[in-house]
Amino acid sequence: MIEVKNITQSYGKNVDILKDINFTVRENCVTALVGANGAGKSTLLSVIANLIPARSGEVLIDGKAVAKIKTADVAKKVAFLKQSQHFDIRIPVKDVVEFGRFPHCGGRMKDADNKKVSDALEYMDLKYIAHKYIDEISGGQRQRAFIAMILAQDTPYIFLDEPLNNLDMKYSVEMMKIVKKLVTDLGKTIVVVLHDINFASAYADHIIAMKDGKIHKEGSPAEIVNSEILNPVFGHEFNIVERDGKRVCLYFN
Amino acid sequence: MVSVSELKHKFFAFSKSSHGRGEASPRRTAISFAVLSIMMLGAVGLYYYSRTFSKIRYLTDRPIPIPIAEGAIQEVLARATPHLIGMIACAFVLAAVSLSFQTITQSRVLTPSMVGFDSVFIGAQTLIVFFLGARHVLFANPFINYALSAGIMVVVSMLMFGAIMRSHRNNIVFLLMFGLVLSSIVMSSSTYLRLLMTEGDFFQLMARTSVNVNNMNVTIVWITLPIMIGVCAATLFRHRRYNVMVLGSEQAKGLGIHYERELRMNLILIAIGMSAVTALIGPLTFLGLLAVNAAREVFKTYKHLPLFIGSAMMSAVVLIAGQGAMEMIMGAVPVTVFIDVVGCAYVFYLVLKENRI
Repeated sequence: MIEVKNITQSYGKNVDILKDINFTVRENCVTALVGANGAGKSTLLSVIANLIPARSGEVLIDGKAVAKIKTADVAKKVAFLKQSQHFDIRIPVKDVVEFGRFPHCGGRMKDADNKKVSDALEYMDLKYIAHKYIDEISGGQRQRAFIAMILAQDTPYIFLDEPLNNLDMKYSVEMMKIVKKLVTDLGKTIVVVLHDINFASAYADHIIAMKDGKIHKEGSPAEIVNSEILNPVFGHEFNIVERDGKRVCLYFN
Repeated sequence: MVSVSELKHKFFAFSKSSHGRGEASPRRTAISFAVLSIMMLGAVGLYYYSRTFSKIRYLTDRPIPIPIAEGAIQEVLARATPHLIGMIACAFVLAAVSLSFQTITQSRVLTPSMVGFDSVFIGAQTLIVFFLGARHVLFANPFINYALSAGIMVVVSMLMFGAIMRSHRNNIVFLLMFGLVLSSIVMSSSTYLRLLMTEGDFFQLMARTSVNVNNMNVTIVWITLPIMIGVCAATLFRHRRYNVMVLGSEQAKGLGIHYERELRMNLILIAIGMSAVTALIGPLTFLGLLAVNAAREVFKTYKHLPLFIGSAMMSAVVLIAGQGAMEMIMGAVPVTVFIDVVGCAYVFYLVLKENRI
């Protein structure tokens, strides 16, 4: 269980990014963090994964403060995938997935580690390009390779920071379907930062809407996706329609 | 009808595969290592030859040969050996710290010398002599002096670490600016302080700071040797971590690397290694850069174990064979001059090719 208690974070002295955030991550769910640019979604995710220390407050993983757990042990609980990576260094897909075993084996691959890597490659359908380099494959395949890496990392919690950046609709939908599958098939708990409210509406089980470094409202997509809540969150007029049981926001006004 | 973009795509796909961009096969890697080992043996042979027999021939191949005293060859060989060991150790350390520095800064163009590590050594020596005089134990005793300058370099690198951390990421432009400003301040103030010294102090200081491969500070070879072996071993044993750090700071942290600690640890190792190299053979800006990039070209991998070993061997071959050849051809010109000329041109090439630093 991951509990977030009274987290604040600021850049410099006056710019508060996060103000007194409290919530508990729902188990076996896809939780989407949504909000306008600068609302603090990515920072919150980084703080929970202990990539950035919180200015005050604490994050508890299974009752233990994350700041007091060794970095390598945090990496056995929480896998974190950041999207703004630019790769000019050539690494084969298989090696990328092997990096996922680093917290467990420190880079010395044993049979059990190789098995996990092979399973992850199989699960993400990457066997046929396992020897290819990540700069030679498509954006969607690269994204799958990194998902395979965090699968090999074998953690109960997975945090994805804007996984749909630079992906077209086809790959975005594929990615979100994979995310759903990880929850239903493998029982993972996933927190994902999404820019597009429609992806959150369609694929998340739980939505946390953030505004100005605070949690504005959290709840199921049915509760969150209505214009009374979303208009102030994004500072934009939404027109929300319902089609096939899913709510879609039209924002091209 | 084929569109232009398709053609372009095909062309690039073709040019990619035709350049053999794949990782070197294990067989090729083994052959490369074998060739490098042979080249290293050859370089050592060349160096010994140039120090002894080529000079003997110079003395004896003349109308009236100059007689060689008995035991002279053994004497020269015995004197060449610490030089050789010092050169090998320096070459290895330069390669190791350059590679780890490139990994932590995520740049293929930087080396520790470029951010002013070696100017700190010269500045420290100047300050000691200026304030305490050349007779003071901190300067006169080579061991204490070395320990002190290594300590100062570690402190400066920690300040640098603080500066990098404050800017929240590996800001390379900031690092370069820091190095540029640091080395210009240190160098110009050292020049000024030298003007104010007594003649005796000045010459003592020049003797200590104008070391190069020809004119190695042999007294401290044996004390710096274990330190340099330690630096190489420490970087070598961390090779698996460097592999992960190639992914960038945030992803490496996500995979359980304590990134700040790694960064600090590496800067300390680099400072210690660079202090030993600078004290022994003086500033050598481009050898590490050349060796590391040559190793990347040959082994075509991101893995740090072959890169460490390969670049260390290449840097040793270049330094020793080059120095041997120079002694035969030109006498007193140190090979470092040529290494810097070639290295400088290579940096231009890299910056232009990659279009970034």
